[in-house]
Amino acid sequence: MKPLRIALTKGRLEQDTVAMLDKIGICCDSVRNKGRKLILPVGDGSIEVVLAKAADVITYVEHGVCDLGIVGKDTILESHGSFYELLDLGFGKCRFALAGPVGHDFFSGYHTKVIASKYPNVARNYFEGKSMNVQIIKIEGSVELAPLLGLADAIVDIVETGTTLKENGLAVIDTICQISARLIANSASLKLRKAEIEALVAQMEKAKEEQK
Amino acid sequence: MKKNNMITPEGTRDLLFEECLARRSVESKLADAFRTRGYNEVMTSGLEFYDVFDPKYSGINPEEMYKMSDRRGRILVMRPDSTMPIARLVATRLKNHQLPLRLFYTQPVYRSNPGLAGRLDENAQAGIEFMGASGIRADLEVLTTAVEALSSCAPDFRLELGHAGFFRELAHQMPVSEEQLEDIRSAIETKNYAALDTILDTLPQTAAVHGMRRLPRLFGGEEVFAQAREICSTEKAQKTLSYLHKIYHAVQDLGLGERVIVDLGMVQRNDYYTDIIFTAYTEGYGDSILMGGRYDNLLAQFHCPMPAIGFGINVDALTRIALAHGHYNAPSAAQILVFGENGYSIKALSHARALTKQGLRCETSVAQTRAEAEDYARSLGIRRLDVVGDQITEVLL
Repeated sequence: MKPLRIALTKGRLEQDTVAMLDKIGICCDSVRNKGRKLILPVGDGSIEVVLAKAADVITYVEHGVCDLGIVGKDTILESHGSFYELLDLGFGKCRFALAGPVGHDFFSGYHTKVIASKYPNVARNYFEGKSMNVQIIKIEGSVELAPLLGLADAIVDIVETGTTLKENGLAVIDTICQISARLIANSASLKLRKAEIEALVAQMEKAKEEQK
Repeated sequence: MKKNNMITPEGTRDLLFEECLARRSVESKLADAFRTRGYNEVMTSGLEFYDVFDPKYSGINPEEMYKMSDRRGRILVMRPDSTMPIARLVATRLKNHQLPLRLFYTQPVYRSNPGLAGRLDENAQAGIEFMGASGIRADLEVLTTAVEALSSCAPDFRLELGHAGFFRELAHQMPVSEEQLEDIRSAIETKNYAALDTILDTLPQTAAVHGMRRLPRLFGGEEVFAQAREICSTEKAQKTLSYLHKIYHAVQDLGLGERVIVDLGMVQRNDYYTDIIFTAYTEGYGDSILMGGRYDNLLAQFHCPMPAIGFGINVDALTRIALAHGHYNAPSAAQILVFGENGYSIKALSHARALTKQGLRCETSVAQTRAEAEDYARSLGIRRLDVVGDQITEVLL
């Protein structure tokens, strides 16, 4: 039997996931001491972990080259795609928010607002839902700069503690939605390898409950 | 301006040699499977009016259709699906024909996908439409054809059964708006248990809401039918369940055995499918290779109400599988190269014709000298050279 392949978002979600896998008895030492390898067998070898950038996790799962994936809801909302979203893992919590300069009423005035964001699709959907025409500009790095430099009226970004916003004279205008890490599955894989995947999901669900 | 005369648009591609052989081999195996069961081929126009695919009944996202306009400003689309055009065809040109109609097609469909995701905008499809009959015999006829067609091309696959009736029946008993119901449907389709729970937690906790919660989890084998019994509270739902169970057993008996699975959470293209829905998966391909179901309401949209069921097969996926498994005739060199000496080119052509009539594959040489012809034959791996002069000499290379 081929090992079950899980694509894992590199970085913070990686650490939380490794901790969870360790807890349910799947030893992840190989991930901790990975060196330069990108495909890593974990536990008894029936599972393989693939380390990837968030958006790539979705791509790999969608195409079925990975059976499962662990990725933030933020990336799912931005890139869409067709796959099953099996479990809210409960870690990697933050939120999408609209934020702008403190003391300025974002909704005032007639001019078309300019929004800077790393997540143009999330921003577009949010404003379409409000029937508001806005101009969206994609920014790759620190989005907080855009209103400070006068390029944008507000930003749509991930907010965790709000410290960065505060230090730059910005404040949350509206929360768009909550975000956390999700377990996603390729639709063919879930059907073809149901027993294995469901057993793993059940264990992860249990670990999540115990965490609470 | 940069010229795009050396590339094809994103989502499209050229096929060469073995790719063509594999694709044609898949297409002809499928066509044979359909033909031997009495299905007749139809081809529909590549350009259609947008109105044929009205999203209200087609369930096709208008943003995915390639559109243009005709001379009178009417909106045209590149055919995004073959079932609507066939329904149109049946409702107009075949409405007085003896029913049921058994039709098949082998033609590409076009969808505009988000870029850079590795999806094709031009998809080769083959499938059947069985129109003018309902009931278990009709359903099993189509399922059997699906199994036979797939068996001819995919070494191993699973056929998955579902039914649109479960979701419809549960939805009927719930006090929700159309938008809310669409959110619920989409959560079930993506097996997004968390999102589904969030929506359902806001509703009064009735038996129907509980059933809806369970729906996406009800997939697998025989055990699903026992688990499903508790969510089928109405008589109608019970009937649907036992109908699906009957179909499940029948398909198992057709030789699929454990390879037939069920998923009661199949809610694709809601409002399009009316009864059974089915799909197929195979190892090594991350998406379904077949999609089909009963769509009894569609023909009424073309003013010719009649029950209908059909499926489409992803020919590109099967071609990929055929290429991976070497299930096609590898392209090979011609058997004979015919070279005419100076002044004997007409004789050489008629010699080649005599050979091809015997079923031999041969090329006629356009080289100036015999040495050039020999070099050419060697480089392509052609093993025999027929030199046509006063006499015809066979040279083995």
